[in-house]
Amino acid sequence: MRAKQTMVAGTALILAVAAAGCGSKGAAKNNSSSDTLTLGAAMSLTGALAREGGLTKEGYDLCQTKVNAQGGVPVGGKKLKLKISYQDDQSAPDTAAQIVDQFNDKGIKLILSSYGSANTEAQAAVVERNGQVMADSAGADDKIFQKGYKRTFAVLSPATDYAASIVDAINEMANPKPKTMVFLSADDGFSKTAAEGGVQKAKDDGFTVLPTQFFPANTSDVSSALNKIKGEKPDVIIGSVHVVEGVAIVKQSKELGVSPAGGFGETVAPPTPDFVTTLGPLAENVLGSSQWTDTSKGTDKYFGTAKDYQSDIQKAFKHAPDYHDAEASAACLAMVLAVTKAGSTNPDKVRDALASLDTQSFFGQIRFNSVGQNIYKPMSVIQVQNGKAVTVWPKDSAEANFIWPGNKQ
Amino acid sequence: MTPFLQATLYGLLQGGLLALVAVGFSLVWGVMNIVNLAHGAFVILGAYIAWELSTRFGIDPFLGMLVSAVVLFAAGYLIQRFLTNLVVNAPIFITLLLTFGINLMLVQGMNIVFSADFRSIRTSYASDSVRMGGVQLPLGRMLAFAITIVITLALVAFVNHTRTGLSIMATGMDRGAARLMGIRARHVYALTFGIACGLAGLAGAMVGMIGTFHPADAGNFTLFSFVIAVLGGLGNMYGALFGGLLLGLVESWGGQYLSGTWVNAIAFLVLVLVLVFRPTGLVGRAFYSTRVEV
Repeated sequence: MRAKQTMVAGTALILAVAAAGCGSKGAAKNNSSSDTLTLGAAMSLTGALAREGGLTKEGYDLCQTKVNAQGGVPVGGKKLKLKISYQDDQSAPDTAAQIVDQFNDKGIKLILSSYGSANTEAQAAVVERNGQVMADSAGADDKIFQKGYKRTFAVLSPATDYAASIVDAINEMANPKPKTMVFLSADDGFSKTAAEGGVQKAKDDGFTVLPTQFFPANTSDVSSALNKIKGEKPDVIIGSVHVVEGVAIVKQSKELGVSPAGGFGETVAPPTPDFVTTLGPLAENVLGSSQWTDTSKGTDKYFGTAKDYQSDIQKAFKHAPDYHDAEASAACLAMVLAVTKAGSTNPDKVRDALASLDTQSFFGQIRFNSVGQNIYKPMSVIQVQNGKAVTVWPKDSAEANFIWPGNKQ
Repeated sequence: MTPFLQATLYGLLQGGLLALVAVGFSLVWGVMNIVNLAHGAFVILGAYIAWELSTRFGIDPFLGMLVSAVVLFAAGYLIQRFLTNLVVNAPIFITLLLTFGINLMLVQGMNIVFSADFRSIRTSYASDSVRMGGVQLPLGRMLAFAITIVITLALVAFVNHTRTGLSIMATGMDRGAARLMGIRARHVYALTFGIACGLAGLAGAMVGMIGTFHPADAGNFTLFSFVIAVLGGLGNMYGALFGGLLLGLVESWGGQYLSGTWVNAIAFLVLVLVLVFRPTGLVGRAFYSTRVEV
């Protein structure tokens, strides 16, 4: 009898634990206390992407400060204090995905993405499975949006626009117009997709495009790729890269005497502060694609205009804003506005509110298409001039004249 | 022909830099049977010291590297004397775990103190190059290569012709016998680890001058050092140099004649081949398999 009672009690305990587990996976309610709205963010605070991850965190932090300065997030007649819960993903996609799962177990259903396409792609699958909702600040690879996910919403332009926007700027403004281009790409998914977009655009615009050269992602040695193209004497070299490979292209080109007649363009690297501080004069006139510049049009009630945003970042973090800051703040803003619109923290209602969101912001207009991409988001092109990244394209928001040829080596 | 020559030359120079990074790692493994997983962190720490000296006081990295070397020698000596020596007789997994922990603390410490920003020690000459016979000779890399050769020769002379060097080798060959001859093994081990860390600091200054660095690069440098130590072999001071040059050449030729994304796979394929046909490495001696433990 005693044994039977023990068995029943044990079974009940196991069932209770199992039920609690099921509850956390399937619970359609964000874990927010009566006066706090908690958003979960796995963040690359260590590892290879720690620099970009740090900038992304700055953007999220500023969003939290700005929203709370106005009393918090208005939800159904009261204001909830915004709290972003961070956990280090060590720049590893599988860890970033596991952290999203852990947030779900804690009942945190509303997620801000980690940095980079690989991390975001891994997270998006988990978000979809768990019924969470994610505002994507830095996952640009088009592949993320080709899987039929309904719960990931990206405020940024897709990867295919990065290198293509540089080609557009050169095609429109370069004089003399270059004839040949070559793309040098890191072998991660985002960079390859960005390079493909650039190659297609260059071909469409009538440029002669040499075969794309690849190198391992996060390498600081791109000499083989440069050595291969040296004899072809391309007029323009466009790097589809992150910071470390982008710096290596310019540095090692100087070492190897690779000197394109027109100049260099690179996707992610040139707008980051580190590009100029590490390269010094070698960074001059390099073109870069940017998700945001301080000449972007639009305003919102938390951040004001792009110029306001610029001075807020400068004040808070003692450096000029980088687009990584801005896209992170914009993703957080989209989530906050969606919660307000939904009048609830219920993830299904927030998802629907994000899907129908149409708003102006310091980041420009934000409105998502059926696969979760921001359809109004244009890219800008910057050029490093006198040690500063200034907008040169599109012309109507240019801060400075386009310098061409840009190569001073 | 020119692309081949350029790839070969650049591969050798890159290999020389990697050899400089790996020489201390190889020394510690060869003498003490410790696989120092914190080695890459010491390299990056050396780069930060030289970077600070350069940005704050305008000190050239070739002078800064001496300061890096001295500071890290002292740090390495103290770590070995008062920490690693406590577990040096334990199985290799314990020292592996200890150095892994030291690595985590150093990398996270650098993240906090210096942030994850990418840095580079800027000089007016490191990116310049000299053109000779159709190939470019990058000045910064040539100077780093010269340092590697000087360091390797100096290390060979030190271990073969000085009393301290001979006691290091003797302790590596047979710690028990060395003790019986009056050698203070604890001091010799600390000295060896200090020298290795000093060399890492020196290499860090060169890495910082030629390329970029941030705390997360520590893991890459430890991995490179491991591969080079295995390729070159332990127990011979030329091992790291030959291993580094081989790795540099393989990566450069692989990138030149195959897709660039294959570079790492080819490097590890060569590692496997060397292990199959010459398990002790290119010039290594089987120190530890023949050593008599006391």
